Amino acid sequence: MFSKRTLLLVVVIAMLAAVAAQCGAAPTPETVTVVQTVVVTKEVKGETVTVVETVEKEVVVTKEVQVEVAPATRYDGKVTLNLNLGTEPPTLDPALATDTTSVNLDRNLFVGLTEFDPVTGDVSPMLATDWSVSDDGLTWTFNLRNDIPWVHYDPATGETVQVTDGDGNPRFVNAYDVEYGAKRTINPETASDYAYVTYIIKNAMEINTGEDADGNPTELTLDDVGVKALDESTVQFTLENPAGYFPAIAGMWILRPQPQWTIEQYGERWIEAGLIDTNGPYVLDEWIHGGSMRLVKNPLWINADNVQIEVIDLLMIQEASTAFALYENNELDTTGVPSPELDRVKADPVLSEQLRIAPVPCTYYYGFVNTKPPFDDVRVRRAFSAAIDRQGLVDNVLKGGQIPATSFAPPGIFGAPEPGTVGLGYDPEYAKAQLQDFLDEKGMTLDEFNSTYDIVLGHNTSEGHARIAAAIQQMWKDNLGTEVRVENQEWKVYLKTIKKNTPIEDEFSIYRLGWCADYPDENNWVYEVFNSEAGSNRVRRNCADPTCEETTGPSKFDELTAAAGIEQDPQKRIEMYKEAEDILAREEAAYAPIYHYTSVGVTKPWLTRNYPTLGGADWYNWKIDVEAKNAAMQ
Amino acid sequence: MLRFIIRRILGFIPVLLGVVIFTFFMARAIPGGPFDFVGDRSLPPSVVKNLEAKYHLDWSQGKQFVSYMIGDEMKIGSFTIYDLDPSAPAYSYGVLRGDLGPSFRYRGQTVNDIISQTFPLSAQLGIMAIILGLIIGIPAGIISALKQNTWLDYSATFVAVLGVSIPSLVMAPLLIWIFSVKLGWFPAATWGAKPPYFQNMFLTPGFDWGNYFMHAVMPVFALGTGLSASFARLMRASLLQVIREDYIRTARAKGLHERAVIYSHALKNSLIPVVTIIGPMFAGLITGTLVIEQIFGLNGMGKHFVQSITNRDYAVVLGTILIYTILLVFSNLLVDLMYGWLDPRIRFD
Repeated sequence: MFSKRTLLLVVVIAMLAAVAAQCGAAPTPETVTVVQTVVVTKEVKGETVTVVETVEKEVVVTKEVQVEVAPATRYDGKVTLNLNLGTEPPTLDPALATDTTSVNLDRNLFVGLTEFDPVTGDVSPMLATDWSVSDDGLTWTFNLRNDIPWVHYDPATGETVQVTDGDGNPRFVNAYDVEYGAKRTINPETASDYAYVTYIIKNAMEINTGEDADGNPTELTLDDVGVKALDESTVQFTLENPAGYFPAIAGMWILRPQPQWTIEQYGERWIEAGLIDTNGPYVLDEWIHGGSMRLVKNPLWINADNVQIEVIDLLMIQEASTAFALYENNELDTTGVPSPELDRVKADPVLSEQLRIAPVPCTYYYGFVNTKPPFDDVRVRRAFSAAIDRQGLVDNVLKGGQIPATSFAPPGIFGAPEPGTVGLGYDPEYAKAQLQDFLDEKGMTLDEFNSTYDIVLGHNTSEGHARIAAAIQQMWKDNLGTEVRVENQEWKVYLKTIKKNTPIEDEFSIYRLGWCADYPDENNWVYEVFNSEAGSNRVRRNCADPTCEETTGPSKFDELTAAAGIEQDPQKRIEMYKEAEDILAREEAAYAPIYHYTSVGVTKPWLTRNYPTLGGADWYNWKIDVEAKNAAMQ
Repeated sequence: MLRFIIRRILGFIPVLLGVVIFTFFMARAIPGGPFDFVGDRSLPPSVVKNLEAKYHLDWSQGKQFVSYMIGDEMKIGSFTIYDLDPSAPAYSYGVLRGDLGPSFRYRGQTVNDIISQTFPLSAQLGIMAIILGLIIGIPAGIISALKQNTWLDYSATFVAVLGVSIPSLVMAPLLIWIFSVKLGWFPAATWGAKPPYFQNMFLTPGFDWGNYFMHAVMPVFALGTGLSASFARLMRASLLQVIREDYIRTARAKGLHERAVIYSHALKNSLIPVVTIIGPMFAGLITGTLVIEQIFGLNGMGKHFVQSITNRDYAVVLGTILIYTILLVFSNLLVDLMYGWLDPRIRFD
């Protein structure tokens, strides 16, 4: 018995030791045997001569081998940009990317037909040198440059070579790659989340959904999609409806050229370092999932001479305060400022110089459920919207220089009105009058209003949303005298609750949401979000609700936003959208816009960068003052 | 003894199966699915349909479960034993064949990939923290028990209470602030993000130990001090109880030296409570600690436990919980075996 126990103990200890050895073993001294030639000086006494002898000796030397300095890597001495992505990018596949991190990376790895100018935000040529549209606005023809090489990077050697086809000819990005990329995104087997953005292309919707307009299985194949390479340098898109904003869509990541040969060879893993073929300013050097990623400059890029930053080291640290500590240690060149640190940064003489508040094309809003009493009455909606002191919220709660919003699309989006020019601003007198009007008509007192209606403001669980909700709840109480309950739910449960077809009794009265631009056009905003026929319309405008017998639409807003999408004249479109925004926020008061987002970041003085209107990262345009950076690192 | 171990290991099978079944259906019972939404927007039903078809979420849950356990199909040569989806090639091979399935969130990565990338670092952190906790906690507990009600005891107890009550959520940012930002002694983060790190459990030649431990010091300290405080308190209480027992009195009565009484009789026996909590603690710690990983920017497994549920990434939820359960049952088995050595009165048969 004893020996058995001892044996077991030995086994357990051996296992633990094995584990510990992985973690705690010291470098073992190395015994080296060397043959040395030693010169010995011999002095023979009694004689006046000193004899010098050469003796060959074998010496055993015990030497401790220690690696003191990390061996120089091929990245040392290169112009390096250190950034924090904040998260593992879910994918690098342009057809599958949905989040800003993946899209930013794709922007630096893959080239699009068009791009957004990082300074002005306008659509500008990239792969396509110019484009034209047919008179009916349905056929778009893009002429492509043919000098952008497809490249393959070998992480083992650090060499970038141009990809060749089966016959050994070098591959350049051509119209067929664009056609393949678009069709791969539309193919239902790819299961692209963003495929619905391509539904503007002829037959894309029918093929992606597998059903025709009547719900029958489709007979169309991918060959029927309205995208066709006419020759190597011309690609033609045919649309379902005229769309003046199509050049902006054409530059989106989902329509970027994709390397068919690599994708077919490696399947879903083609985006890994060493397998991926790219065509943008950078190539993928290393991707330690969840830890870090490294991009290096593509020397074969057409504009390589103007790309100064040679190596981009990307971390995936989620905790904003840790990233900020790294920034303070000069380990990151730019980072976001966590809100608890904001007051300190503003007060610090050095950090406040590095602070920059940049607009982000996103809007935070409260949606009123237009079919849920009392918000089925426009006066109540107007009262609740006008009673929100947006500037006060920004100054006292958010503190990040956000722009108070009175309309939906933020500045920088084509067709977006200047904030404050349309819609309802903060006006407590007007708000009170609107509510009083409603109460008088119903013959209610304010107390009866509060006891009749159980108004619930919903938000997804987050400290930030809770602070905003508490502040606005108090504003409504102070300005209107109404009682509102605040509830929160976990994100996915929340999104389920605020769906358009949730039974009205389970739905909140007011919900919070944000919206960010996919492409810089109003169509992406008022039409796709609020149009009662084509948009997601969570506010249930026009009685789009199971409780109503039939919808009351389409209203003037619906007609305006649909027509503006088709309209060709940019000036007319701007006016139409301005009117639509005003109807939505003032006449209908279907929702209450609250603020346009900003990003609060700090950037080291040696980094010169852009703040693109659409967000995103054009790392290939950024510049680093190497001497200043090195001096600071010392 | 061997029979005991075999019996216990056989007993794990229904436990693991129960955990898998429970988790599989519970995860799918949470409202919302993995593809309902992208960021703030809902996806059109057609797109969701494509995604669900791709990942077989359009199958009945029973069929999905069969596929999760044994895979989509099994073929020996050209002979098909079964094929759940004849129209498509095999998508997953099933848990029983070692395939934990695909991640819905990280497209193109499998759960096997995710676990093999993140588990090593979590395990290294957890093991080092437990070792640190034992090195500090056990002697501190012994000293304060033997010197009960002296200033040594009081100060050790005070430090232990402090250690237990300061959460790592507070400790970790403080460590970063003091030792990284202000003093610049240790790197603030990036252990496991940049080399040197263990890509897997095994070392490569020329490994930079100095750099490695510089990165490890603060996370291990933040995690280990809390552990050492609990070990110390437990050790103290347990030793105080044991030295009042009859067999200790007997040992003293037969004239044994006090040192022999403590070290060869009392100490071993009083380790039982410590060993008892180390078992489950070990399984929990080496599969990742969310807070420490988050704050020190470590690429560990802890975040996947939480994020996978938020993302409704079913296969990752199941995979992480399965790994945790396996480690838990095996460390409990080890604990039981340790009992036999620590207390001769315990018999296995």
